[in-house]
Amino acid sequence: MNIIICGVGGNGVILTTRILAQAAINEGFNVRIGASHGLAIRGGTVVSYLRIGSDAKGVIMPQRSGDILLAFEPLEALRQMKLMKDNAKVLLNNEPYIGVDAHLGLSKYPEIEEIISRLSETQELVEIEASKLAIKAGSQVMTNVVMLGSLASSKELPIKRDTLLNTILDMVPPQTVESNKRAFEYGEQAFHEKQN
Amino acid sequence: MKVNKNLLRDAGERVLLTGNEAIARGIIEAGAGITTAFPGTPSTQILDNLGPLAHQLGFHAEHSVNEAVAFEVAAGAALAGVRSVMVTKMLGVNLISDPLLVIAITGVNAGLVVVTADDPGQHSSQNAEDTRYFGMLGKIPVLEPMDGQEAKDMTKYAFELSEELQLPVFVRITSRICHSYFDVTFGEITPPKREGHFEKDPKRYVMISTLSRARQPILTEKINRAAVINESNPWNKVILIDKGEITTKTNPFKTEFGIIASGLTYPYVEEVLEKTKISAKVLKLATTYPLPKQLLNDYFKGLEKVLIVEECEPVTEMQIRAFAQREGIEVIIHGKEDQTMPRIGELNPDLVGGGIEKLFKVKFSEELTKPYLEVEAMLTKRVPALCAGCPHRASYYSIKEALRKNKKGGVILGDRGCYNQGVHEPIAGIDTCICMGASIAMASGMYQSGVKEPILAVIGDGTFLHSGIPSLLNAVQHRSKITVIIFDNSITGMTGHQPNACTGRNLMGDPTPEVDLADIVNGLGIENVKVVESFHTELLQDTITRHLEDDGPKVIISRGECAILAGRERRITKEKVTRARVAVETCTGCKVCMKKLGCPAFGWSSSGENEHLVILPNCNGCALCVQVCPKLAISIPMEKQIPLKTKQVVAGR
Ligand SMILES: Cc1ncc(C[n+]2csc(CCOP(=O)(O)OP(=O)(O)O)c2C)c(N)n1
Ligand code: SF4
Ligand code: SF4
Repeated sequence: MNIIICGVGGNGVILTTRILAQAAINEGFNVRIGASHGLAIRGGTVVSYLRIGSDAKGVIMPQRSGDILLAFEPLEALRQMKLMKDNAKVLLNNEPYIGVDAHLGLSKYPEIEEIISRLSETQELVEIEASKLAIKAGSQVMTNVVMLGSLASSKELPIKRDTLLNTILDMVPPQTVESNKRAFEYGEQAFHEKQN
Repeated sequence: MKVNKNLLRDAGERVLLTGNEAIARGIIEAGAGITTAFPGTPSTQILDNLGPLAHQLGFHAEHSVNEAVAFEVAAGAALAGVRSVMVTKMLGVNLISDPLLVIAITGVNAGLVVVTADDPGQHSSQNAEDTRYFGMLGKIPVLEPMDGQEAKDMTKYAFELSEELQLPVFVRITSRICHSYFDVTFGEITPPKREGHFEKDPKRYVMISTLSRARQPILTEKINRAAVINESNPWNKVILIDKGEITTKTNPFKTEFGIIASGLTYPYVEEVLEKTKISAKVLKLATTYPLPKQLLNDYFKGLEKVLIVEECEPVTEMQIRAFAQREGIEVIIHGKEDQTMPRIGELNPDLVGGGIEKLFKVKFSEELTKPYLEVEAMLTKRVPALCAGCPHRASYYSIKEALRKNKKGGVILGDRGCYNQGVHEPIAGIDTCICMGASIAMASGMYQSGVKEPILAVIGDGTFLHSGIPSLLNAVQHRSKITVIIFDNSITGMTGHQPNACTGRNLMGDPTPEVDLADIVNGLGIENVKVVESFHTELLQDTITRHLEDDGPKVIISRGECAILAGRERRITKEKVTRARVAVETCTGCKVCMKKLGCPAFGWSSSGENEHLVILPNCNGCALCVQVCPKLAISIPMEKQIPLKTKQVVAGR
């Protein structure tokens, strides 16, 4: 299984990938995470590839081989499209980061509606209001945990729900266990609401 | 200082680690006594991980002042019989090549390992050089791991090889190995030994020409011996692939096609063969210099064509070609030189697949059909920007305003650090950026060449300490009329905030003297040095304007705290930032703030009555936009602004 996690710097892409990978290891799978990031400066594109089980080979995956895309930002989701199989599951936090360059007309940020329609054209898109739900659970920092909750409910993952949740709770600061659990559950609920 | 407890787990445990962490563990398992580096993405975190463990485990760890120094510290230890390692990104190898090529001649008395990280695809570097050439240049063996496990194990082995040969050894990795995660099974930790003893032997260690010449045959003998040792290197492996499947049956398996792959490209090769169902005899080559000759002779038996897969330059390929010619082996060699594989950029499974597709009638890559291609056309790259609240933004703003009002133009020579992001619009504050320390010397060159516009050099504290000092001294001696502005945040920011001599502590967490750059500049013979706070933009502009026309070199130190570090401190002290506020009815939507500053905390609202600026949650409350807005539409209450400490220019002593 090939999972892509993407966003902009500060979204917690790498941490999210590590949590998923650790959960997969806890279930006895082999894993590989491919990552490469540049500088300390925030706001740039960040992507990592998680390869689980028999796909755990090279750290970069071939194009059009992704099974799941977990995207923290719409334009970044679009950027990873060429890695996805047709009809792959795309979980999207619909929270655009536009950037000053686009405001100044130095680069062009596509219309949100356009991004959504492009994503839905070839993929199975599920939009999750993860940032908002994270704030409701206590802090925007937990956006990734909301997303993981949704991912767990999507039944696409070869990892059991409780394994994933416990891995998360193991890896977050002890005083935030309760709020992280809440964030995870909000993610699950949100996914179910979308499916109904 | 955060200790990475993962690195201390027991032998036998399986741990998810980055390649950088795996190498750090390998260094610990080898019991190195001295570990040094100069920060450089992608390998910085090796020492960042070792530093906080140094006292606990009993080794020494430092981010040295520059790479040459880092290597020489490690070399001193290796002559004194203590295992030592120097870690660098590939650019640092350019700096260490001078001492390295001579230490190869003296040899070492304990393992001396240089870990070098190349950056194919240039994720964070100004070139894409291949440091394996330096192995050939200096007769230094090169080992190339393919994943985290090998990175750890081969680093440990590199010390043993170095001791066996009494020669420094390179471990060559690439950025993708550094930052990717692998599950790694741990070995035993060897306690570090630091009972150094230097046995004098001038014939060996005093490398004047006559004595050095006498030792050249020894070096040649060593590198020949290395080739023999590499014959039995356990990470060199021949893998038979029968119609895509790995097989151990040599009979009836037969193929005329071979692939030689090194580093992390080997798994790509496996994946491509599996899908295309091609048969091949694959050599996973870990010792890319010097080549094991017997192993290759055996490998080439029965092969008619061979594809060579490697990151960066065709270093293995050139050697294999020469080897085949020498041994009279008739084989067609494909690789980068005949453009079967691309020579530019980072490899991936699709590019390896593309190479195979050129040689066989097969298809590896899934097609990008129309909807995917259309999406590709919609993508624009994000332009990196200095962080919200970064003092460098204030410095650039002041420099550009000063030059604009001065009306005589100006050439600004840039340097390496976060501030090189100042090249992008809207800051567009630098005209050159070459390599660390080049700004000041090149500014001198421009002045001496007769450039009439004001000439400025901008350089950070870390880079000034690394290689700016000799250039400034040179400008003093030759009376170059240049204005040097040091962006002093007292930390090496770009690579992830490593301490330097200005910081007041070292990598192991020990307090150290806080070196004041003004003292250094004074000591170089420049009296004309001013210290101004970066966010004191009026004062900074005024200072620049007043000194542009002074003769000789002058230095302005623009001082401000890195916004990321300030944010971390606030999280500890639980202090809250007061974000800038926009008076929506006053903001006319002129975008002066955007055009002059381009802070990433700027958002924009075009809905409703009037367009206006929106401040995003990542605002760090630096109040620079408050100073710049011509309509006074942005505010942070005076008492909530981060106070400016210097109310006036601090003159040099
Ligand atoms: C020879 C070499 N070594 C290392 C690097 C990596 N590198 C780029 S910028 C930089 C240091 C920046 O520090 P400083 O000048 O203090 O600026 P800051 O990022 O803090 O603004 C380093 C180490 C490099 N480019 N070249
Ligand atoms: S990391 Fe620090 S120095 Fe670098 S851009 Fe951000 S605030 Fe500026
Ligand atoms: S105060 Fe203004 S310039 Fe400073 S970080 Fe906030 S928005 Fe950016």
